[in-house]
Amino acid sequence: MNSSPVLSVRNLSVDVGTGAGARPVLSDVSFDLAPREIVGIIGASGSGKTVLARALVNWIDPPLRIASGSVEYKSQNILDLAGGRMRLLRREIAYVGANPMGALDPTLPVGRQIVEKLSAVVPGIDPSEARKRVIDLLGAVRIPSPRLRFDEYPSQFSGGMMQRALIVDALVSNPAFLVADNVTQPLDVTVAAQVLRLMRELTERFDTAVVFVSSSLPTVKEAADQVLVLSEGRIVERNTPQRLIDAPQHPYTLQLISQIPKIWTSEAAAVPRTPNAARPTISIRDATRTYRVRKRGTFAAHSEVRAVRNVTFDVMPGENFGVVGESGCGKSTLMRLLSRLEFPDSGSVICNGEDLSKLRGKTLLKFRRDFQLVLQDPFNSLPPRTSIGAILEDPLRVHGMRNAKEIRERVLTVMAEVELPANLYDELPLGLSAGQRQRVNVARAMVLEPKVLIMDETLSSLDQTEQFRLLALFEKLQVQHGLTYVFISHDLAMVRRVCNRVAVMYLGEVVEIAHNERLFFDPGHPYTKALLSAVPTLEERRYKPEDCLLEGEPPSPIDLPPGCSFASRCPHAFDRCRAESPTLTARNHGELAACFLVEGPGARAAA
Amino acid sequence: MFVISFLVRRLAQGALIIFLVTLLIFTLLRIVPGDPVRLMAGGMAPEALIEQIAEEMGLRDPVLVQFGRYMSGVVRGDLGQSFVRPASGASTGGSSFGDATRGERADVLTLIGETLPMTLQLAFLAIVFAMVFSFLVGIPAGLSPGRWPDRVAFYVSSIFISLPGFWLGIVLALLLSVKLGWLPAIGYKGFAYTILPAIVLAVELSPVLIRTLTGSISSAMTMPFIAVGRVRGLSQRRIIFAHALRNASVPLLNLLGIQISGLLGGVLVIEFIFDYPGLGLLTINAVLQRDFPLIQGIAIVTSAIFVLINIAVDLIATLIDPRLEY
Ligand SMILES: Nc1ncnc2c1ncn2[C@@H]1O[C@H](COP(=O)(O)OP(=O)(O)OP(=O)(O)O)[C@@H](O)[C@H]1O
Ligand code: SF4
Ligand SMILES: [Mg+2]
Repeated sequence: MNSSPVLSVRNLSVDVGTGAGARPVLSDVSFDLAPREIVGIIGASGSGKTVLARALVNWIDPPLRIASGSVEYKSQNILDLAGGRMRLLRREIAYVGANPMGALDPTLPVGRQIVEKLSAVVPGIDPSEARKRVIDLLGAVRIPSPRLRFDEYPSQFSGGMMQRALIVDALVSNPAFLVADNVTQPLDVTVAAQVLRLMRELTERFDTAVVFVSSSLPTVKEAADQVLVLSEGRIVERNTPQRLIDAPQHPYTLQLISQIPKIWTSEAAAVPRTPNAARPTISIRDATRTYRVRKRGTFAAHSEVRAVRNVTFDVMPGENFGVVGESGCGKSTLMRLLSRLEFPDSGSVICNGEDLSKLRGKTLLKFRRDFQLVLQDPFNSLPPRTSIGAILEDPLRVHGMRNAKEIRERVLTVMAEVELPANLYDELPLGLSAGQRQRVNVARAMVLEPKVLIMDETLSSLDQTEQFRLLALFEKLQVQHGLTYVFISHDLAMVRRVCNRVAVMYLGEVVEIAHNERLFFDPGHPYTKALLSAVPTLEERRYKPEDCLLEGEPPSPIDLPPGCSFASRCPHAFDRCRAESPTLTARNHGELAACFLVEGPGARAAA
Repeated sequence: MFVISFLVRRLAQGALIIFLVTLLIFTLLRIVPGDPVRLMAGGMAPEALIEQIAEEMGLRDPVLVQFGRYMSGVVRGDLGQSFVRPASGASTGGSSFGDATRGERADVLTLIGETLPMTLQLAFLAIVFAMVFSFLVGIPAGLSPGRWPDRVAFYVSSIFISLPGFWLGIVLALLLSVKLGWLPAIGYKGFAYTILPAIVLAVELSPVLIRTLTGSISSAMTMPFIAVGRVRGLSQRRIIFAHALRNASVPLLNLLGIQISGLLGGVLVIEFIFDYPGLGLLTINAVLQRDFPLIQGIAIVTSAIFVLINIAVDLIATLIDPRLEY
């Protein structure tokens, strides 16, 4: 890397606000980007990564303000360029962000918008040539049938496909460098791994230098030649990924690395097997849930979306049961069935021996106390204008508690249990951090002293540090109250840390159920292997993405073809898989997998 | 394909709506006090004669029978004859009872056919005025929320919304027509007679359009793809005209659908004030004269127009934003 850099950042500082209220967001950031180099930038949430990424493409809007420093491209400071001259440079400077679904106009076809961008930055380009070029590139990022996809609208693209289209959008004008801010963050692991691989390929093919911003060190390690560690707006360390991981210098880097979950190494948490118990707390029997949606452009025709299909499993008392799978695989529908928000079309959900659909009166009320949900989104699930104390009192009142003093005491006890300071009692949720909001959600569930907590992606929106603290809290609560947890998550690393048993879902079916260790060390189903091969981790992988990870995304759950639902992506699929569906087959120790290649002790699992 | 299925579905719904409106109005007209035969025959006509005429016209049959008879005409395109208007023009009725035979009465369809184009012309011109004005005021306002164009739009729409239509009509007629002689006002002898009433209607229409346009443009400008568009290298003009306006136009269209339906109330008053020979004036006279078949026919035609306008609006909206589905 001895040629002159594409981009030089010198002493860049950015403030938020002006005058006396100004607060620095970035301080004194300097680095160079060499041609063809990929520089990774890593840091905790709020460390200023997005602000830095935007500054590199001259996209700093009030209240943010460049305080000092320069971003030099072709020996001019692009931060000084006025709108019109900057626009001419957009051809050479590209940006992809973390919100693929919001990046294009929802009312116009994707392909047309990419052509629009191309003709905006390359004036005078022949429209039919622009079109051809976009279709070629859509094919190059492995979007199936690019000619048809060209005319489809953003809402018809999945998140992963949209992110690929945006990579096309960024690279279509052959930029000199590309700034990618957390591009894989909203994607499922298998799709994220594909997108990452693709970015590396394309930047090589087009000779593009990349600034790769991410909050996940394993992801950056896969992508980057150089890593900069950003903490509170300063670069605290820079090194090659391997040396950074082997010998971190700065305390923040050390902490970051120590918090990355271990999956296969000996330091990985040993999770005990499920305690034996006579009767399961929850047992879901052959449950199916189908939604009917009207077909667009027809009079009365409906399509069936088979969100959950023939799901059967038991959750034992005191167990941590995990349900994993990619987006759209039916996890949240399953959660709604388990929490009696919906009923299965066929099959049943049985809790403590009673069918949920038959609960009435007292027993129903008891079920509502015993089963509590903690939902995904810490930002929208709390009423913004109600004080935290009132939010937590509400369930108690609903369940018939009247004495104001007792209620207050109970709420304060729970707040102490989830480690929320008592002085937040009269505060509004507005000022809380994501982690604190999630604690309020947990407290709201805990206040009724439940037996089972169902966590739907509860930790997904939190950063590593906060996740760590909340998991410790869950453990403590479990010991104190003998809770049973059902974790619904796409995060395998988290599941590896806490769950005794794990069910893997694909397209509405449970394709494998196994104890923690067996699942991670000896998975029975090819899909589980694919998931494991894509987990971001710093460890040596047990399953190589080259062998296990297949292109493409799950097919739509509408009008499924016959046969094994994984057949379209399975590396081992053979003729039988396309004709017959495999059922869950027992391997040993009561572990089940639904694949024809599983050699069990011969016996088929009872459905 | 989508368009055809959409149209068939919506037209079927529309036919049902028109049918129900017709039934409702038909029944109400039979319930309200005031015997049309008494009005037709004149106050002095003997009771027996009135009964006889009513009998002949089928007005003493059960309502459902009358309705069936009426509908069988409607599907053949026959909306019946006016009770009071002769085919020649001026309305009859009043104190003397000539035995005007049925043949001489005017066809409802003809009466509507003469006046509807006038009203459509007025409404169309009013909408054009209102749209042009709202765009000129609303777009700059939406692009700079909180700054002076926004405040101008706010004041203009506040003032317009508090001007009563009839008052504005009279003032403008006095000012522009009587005092300055720029525009003709009363009656109709050519296209120029449409301009003044259209301006008054446009003033009534535009406040809501301005507010909606301002709001939907300023919210469209905060959508992520607008900011990203700049970074992708699109020019400010393209961003505003090809994307922000496009996204802002769906709420505007929906509003326009409702507004046009609401326009009728305004048209009644304005046509009356300006003595403009449109459907509104015809309606007022029909009501005053208890001209059942005419009221009925106007109701059918106007509800058909509403239905068609709303179908058109929804169709255009789905063509602009493919995520919508009605
Ligand atoms: N438009 C803005 N207005 C005010 N403050 C802002 C704005 N954008 C960023 N900040 C502040 O700047 C700091 C850095 O934010 P930034 O978005 O760069 O974090 P990040 O490292 O990208 O975090 P994440 O990993 O969550 O994406 C934060 O304290 C944030 O509150
Ligand atoms: S049954 Fe066939 S397609 Fe399905 S997972 Fe097993 S090998 Fe793959
Ligand atoms: Mg960010």
